[in-house]
Amino acid sequence: MSLLTVRDLTISFRAKKHPLQIVTNLNFSIDRSEVFGLVGESGCGKSLTALSIMGILPQNAVSEGEIFYNGRNLLKLDNESMRKLRGKELSMIFQEPMTSLNPVLTIGYQISEMLTTHEGFSTKEAMGRATELLRAVRIPSPEIRVREYPHQMSGGMRQRVMIAIAIACNPSLLIADEPTTALDVTIQAQILELLMDLKQEKNMSILLITHDIAVIAENADRAAVMYAGRIMEASRVSNILSDPKHPYTIGLLESLPKTKGIPLKPIPGSVPRPDRLPPGCKFSDRCGYKISDCLKEEPVLREISPGHFSRCIRAEEMKWEL
Amino acid sequence: MGIIDVEDLKKHFPVKKKAFSKQEWLKAVDGVTFSVKDGAVSSLVGESGSGKSTVARLILRLTPPTSGKISFQGNDIQTLKGDSLRQFRKSVQIIFQDPFASLNPRMTVFDTVSEPLKVHKLVDRSGYGDYVVNLLGKVGLQADAMNRYPHEFSGGQRQRICIARALAVSPKVLIADEPLSALDVSIQAQILNILQELQRESKISFLFISHDLRVVRYFSDEVAVMYLGKIVEHAKTEDLFNNPLHPYTIELLSSAPKIKPDGKKRKILKGDVPSPINIPLGCPFHPRCPQRINVCDQIVPEIKRLEGRLVSCHLF
Repeated sequence: MSLLTVRDLTISFRAKKHPLQIVTNLNFSIDRSEVFGLVGESGCGKSLTALSIMGILPQNAVSEGEIFYNGRNLLKLDNESMRKLRGKELSMIFQEPMTSLNPVLTIGYQISEMLTTHEGFSTKEAMGRATELLRAVRIPSPEIRVREYPHQMSGGMRQRVMIAIAIACNPSLLIADEPTTALDVTIQAQILELLMDLKQEKNMSILLITHDIAVIAENADRAAVMYAGRIMEASRVSNILSDPKHPYTIGLLESLPKTKGIPLKPIPGSVPRPDRLPPGCKFSDRCGYKISDCLKEEPVLREISPGHFSRCIRAEEMKWEL
Repeated sequence: MGIIDVEDLKKHFPVKKKAFSKQEWLKAVDGVTFSVKDGAVSSLVGESGSGKSTVARLILRLTPPTSGKISFQGNDIQTLKGDSLRQFRKSVQIIFQDPFASLNPRMTVFDTVSEPLKVHKLVDRSGYGDYVVNLLGKVGLQADAMNRYPHEFSGGQRQRICIARALAVSPKVLIADEPLSALDVSIQAQILNILQELQRESKISFLFISHDLRVVRYFSDEVAVMYLGKIVEHAKTEDLFNNPLHPYTIELLSSAPKIKPDGKKRKILKGDVPSPINIPLGCPFHPRCPQRINVCDQIVPEIKRLEGRLVSCHLF
């Protein structure tokens, strides 16, 4: 049975006239100790999906549908039960390690807060455990670091502290929202390696959100490609990369520079605003495979081959090789 | 000899002094020598804080160097004055990383793109319109963009406007400082195609600054790898990517995620980049280097010429 199942999730913002729908009928599930990737460009609704699982959407956003975690619908839980899950069983790390830590509290305090809140540790026990956690995320000399403040650390170190906070209570699901985007490549490799090692050790599932398809390629088991608030293609990562069945996925892969001298084939245009999406298929205005049927009605996400889903009426014709 | 030659360039910034303590210096650029060849694309790669952008600012004469020499077509740019300085400013242009911060929100696209024409008196006032439309066409924007303001455009479109502004004075050298990193993947490819076309058609020389190795490999002819203000390796692009010599280059190349995972366990560099205020003695890379030998923490390696490339490492 899967750990988390998202069913028909729709997220919209209240606006003056019509509500602005950002995420539409999202369906996916994450198995135990699996790394599931969500890939897409900015504004496609990846982060909102994560916030909605954590129950920390902005005040003016509404989510409909169902998010089942261990058989419980998270969207129906009251605030108190959600608070008990959040941080303990579901935890999250964010893109900006610079802004997600409190600058006036020590690293140790911020980690131990999780343990005193959720696990009933005394302050002293919690501080001791905080040192161990810093060691677990491979911060050198954790005994000293535990008493320091965020400004005394580099970006990579702060992201490690964020991970230490996130794994403090051994969560079943860790949501990593662009965990390495703000970091340099060598540090990115360190952080991703750390996450994958922790996943093995603690047997947790990871929802890895990124715009970089290469990050997914190396780290995720299955992935979904999102565009305009919808899943366009979902499958095992190896299938998506070796045999993509949606023009948007192909477009993303073609956008990556490969051989020198051969001009790139970028996706034309830019992501439309959520209130100005084209009729029918939402990718149709940028798509090279468009036919008149694409504009009639929005295609459904259908299974092309076992476990491989695509939201394109011409999915079977797609042939592309890396 | 290239169109731009940089010789032993240094830029040290004073760090705010604490009472009774010695003045400390942040060595952003610490002895860099390279040249941008005429009509070629030279790249600078490195992690944040390695001094790439400071090199760009020094070449543009936006900030004076602590020591060293920068020549443009053989002339030292520090000695330029008056008309020759204006000619230099016209010949070397820059595109910045953040297209949201590098356009004036109160100027229309027409004002922005035509301003360099006014400053350098390149065309008659009556010719501005046609000239701007032509420039916008080169970067793939419609003529009706002219009377709109930057906030009406997306990031990719703004970067196109920035490119058009840089092209207005027909520069000989274009410095592109991380021009793609603020953009989405599909838009990056569009901008990269524009830059590539410009380079091919107008034979503009490029100094391309990036941390994205895939883009660098695709776009550039020569690559210099920087680490803590120094160039550790400088080679032709294919040589560098096929056979990196310096341990830092090797680690940097192996840490970039690949679309086709080769199944090999990646080598991952330990530790962070040290602070440029306290650069380690000897080779600046030695604390993180997996191939360190005895001399590394004492003697700064000299730059050695090796099979048509430059490497600064004691192993060679």
